[in-house]
Amino acid sequence: MTLTIDKYKQAFQEEAREILVELESSLLELNENRGDKELVARAFRALHTIKGSGAMFGFDELAAFTHKLENAFDEVRNGRLSITSELVDLSLAALDQIRAMLEESAGRGATNRVVSAEILAKVLRLTGERENRPAEAPPSAPLAPATGPAVASGTTRDWLVRFSPGPDLMRSGANPLLRELKQLGSLRVHTSMAAIPPLGELDPERCYVAWDMVLTTAAARDAISDVFIFVADSCELTIEPASEASLEVQVSPPLEKKTDRASERASSAAASPVVDESNAPEKKPPPWGRRASDTPDNATSIRVPAAKLDQLVNLVGELVTVQARLLEVATRREDPEVSAVSEEIERLTTTLRETSISIRMLPIRGTFERFRRLVHDLARDLHKEVELTIEGADTELDKSVIDELSDPLMHLIRNSMDHGIEPPEARLAGKKRSAATIHLSARHSGASVLICVADDGGGIDAAAVRERAIEKGLVAADAQLTEAEIFALIMAPGFSTAKQITDVSGRGVGMDVVRRKVEALRGTIDIASQLCTGTSVTLRLPLTLAIIDGLLVRVGQAYFVLPLASTLECIELTQQDIEQANGKHVANVRGEIIPYIRLREYFNLPIERLEREQIMVAETEEGRYGFVVDQVLGDHQTVIKNLGRFYRHVDLVSGATILGNGTVALIIDPQRLVRDALQTLAVGKRRLGKPADARGEARAPVASAPNAGAVVLLESAAAGGAAGP
Amino acid sequence: MPVTLDQHNDFCLLHLEGEIDISSATELRMVLLKMLASGRELRVDLERANDLDVTSIQLLWAAEREARRSGMGMTLTGRVPETISAALGDAGFEKFPVPMESEVSR
Repeated sequence: MTLTIDKYKQAFQEEAREILVELESSLLELNENRGDKELVARAFRALHTIKGSGAMFGFDELAAFTHKLENAFDEVRNGRLSITSELVDLSLAALDQIRAMLEESAGRGATNRVVSAEILAKVLRLTGERENRPAEAPPSAPLAPATGPAVASGTTRDWLVRFSPGPDLMRSGANPLLRELKQLGSLRVHTSMAAIPPLGELDPERCYVAWDMVLTTAAARDAISDVFIFVADSCELTIEPASEASLEVQVSPPLEKKTDRASERASSAAASPVVDESNAPEKKPPPWGRRASDTPDNATSIRVPAAKLDQLVNLVGELVTVQARLLEVATRREDPEVSAVSEEIERLTTTLRETSISIRMLPIRGTFERFRRLVHDLARDLHKEVELTIEGADTELDKSVIDELSDPLMHLIRNSMDHGIEPPEARLAGKKRSAATIHLSARHSGASVLICVADDGGGIDAAAVRERAIEKGLVAADAQLTEAEIFALIMAPGFSTAKQITDVSGRGVGMDVVRRKVEALRGTIDIASQLCTGTSVTLRLPLTLAIIDGLLVRVGQAYFVLPLASTLECIELTQQDIEQANGKHVANVRGEIIPYIRLREYFNLPIERLEREQIMVAETEEGRYGFVVDQVLGDHQTVIKNLGRFYRHVDLVSGATILGNGTVALIIDPQRLVRDALQTLAVGKRRLGKPADARGEARAPVASAPNAGAVVLLESAAAGGAAGP
Repeated sequence: MPVTLDQHNDFCLLHLEGEIDISSATELRMVLLKMLASGRELRVDLERANDLDVTSIQLLWAAEREARRSGMGMTLTGRVPETISAALGDAGFEKFPVPMESEVSR
């Protein structure tokens, strides 16, 4: 029992947190569009729900506090109070208090009650004292109807209210709300039990009952529908003015029928007069267990602790590994029966894997929307005008990636607002709009997600960064660096601890934190900036950290996996093709020149010329590149295992996986491999006193050890690519 | 335990105590099914109950319907506490969905 209540309390806490996030963005939007009635209604509904369900689950302090704020929004709704910056800021502060109360109830932190009292006093100054409204229903009557004008408006009338709750009414902790309706006036109820199935088929936690009611009240329709506001999304509700005829038909159980069935009723005397089973055949209810109100939304959505999903994905990972072993055994034994079972299991494992991964995918909206508040507060504190625009908020990412993303994005936005965006006067002087924009965007690109924080601020002064880096001893005084390499320096640990210096626009604070977090997610960072125009920081992150579709390849005795999502095609590379390219590392694929990297050479594996090799063509941000391997073995469900701390600086490999025979295969990141090769090439060229390769320039990540083989490789590849076949 | 069952020779007696709500609904359903399977008359004692919600009302209602159809009958022994009457009213019922013993004998 206690356990169940705790479960509901926990569910409320989770739901309330979500509502608060929504409420916060409504408030911030409201600050921009002060006349938007829909936003006011949304804020009111959110507060009403928090208050109502809070009271229901024993969060009395929270409910009482929210109630006062709700009153303020009721005033706004009724046009007696207008939205001002003061009200928005006050509401945001109140929202923080509600959040603190929630956290306190969950055993985390404590609420500062002095602050609560101050906020309430200010809210009351805006509403209560001015209006001097009578004390409303205490919060313990959770969905106390809106009183005031609606009720006091004079003449009473009859309303026909039909309420058919969703199946989860009781599971969500709500009640049929008749008590709350009765507070509005006199209520006649007809309870329909027609949908109750036989006991054997009955789901004990589901609500099968529906109510047709006549409410005689002076309250307006809004006040009646407010009673149901908490369950509005999951029920069928009609509220209409009642005519005499409709009252007879809808509410009173037919008298004759009652007498006809008098004998049965006498023996049962079961149903009270208001409960009428006899309506069942006329209403033709849908078959047991299914009702019209069972929209996909309320029938299929459940809340599951994230830890359970993590466990599910881990188990699926184990299953995938075992399945690979089974496949290996089946292939070795050449037993058709075992092969058939193995194939079937493979098919099921793939589906199971895709399904469990998709369960963990969440839109990034929640994370993005949270920054509206940060931008609003920081802009106020820094006396800057900043608009936050969001694009691609529905882009989905693995939950574990999203969880880790909040911090780096916060650092980036803070940096941008602190140092990137100029004060309004400076912007006007620079012929810019006084209000700056921060654009937060997300989009998919192959097996990655690109998340970009862009501003139209002052940009990064590359020369100043370079000077500072030399001063700090991060680079040699005579080092020749591309712009991208210079920007990458601001993420170096030594740089970030530097004191803020205005001529570098101070960037770098916390940037090494961003870098570390992103690298821990196996992601990369790109910085592009133009002085006076703005800066954009793009994070490239893997879609998931658990299992990917890969292509298994062999090079000598070594196995590698390439992510399938970035692979375009596999073609054969014959000795003849190599000769035609005059020894350059390029292949002619249907007229397109594709430079390639021979993994055997790149990883310094023993050279052994084969008659036939295979090129896997992959799409990277630098264009299409080929990877030459001995043999493509086929697709492979790849459970990603970390390489461990010892190898965490190995950039080119994004992890490892265990094959069916127990061998370890390294997972190659084509993007990084190409970059590394291009960078090594650029370094090599600079050493020879040549200008950097155009394709390699402006995209240099933190340098890794130059690979002599790769230099030679790409020298010829680039030369061949430029000159054509 | 809010739901307990006493099996007698010619009837089964169900005692409901405290709050009978969604948290005990699964258990109540199992007990009611067991009572129906016994083939004996069903009796319900609510004297020590102080709250009922819609889930328990609809379970009792369904059990009563089945007991009535199969001729076993289901009745309420003892008085119905006021808190239960109030809870029934809040769920749209004027009275308990199971007849009193006195009503049936009449």
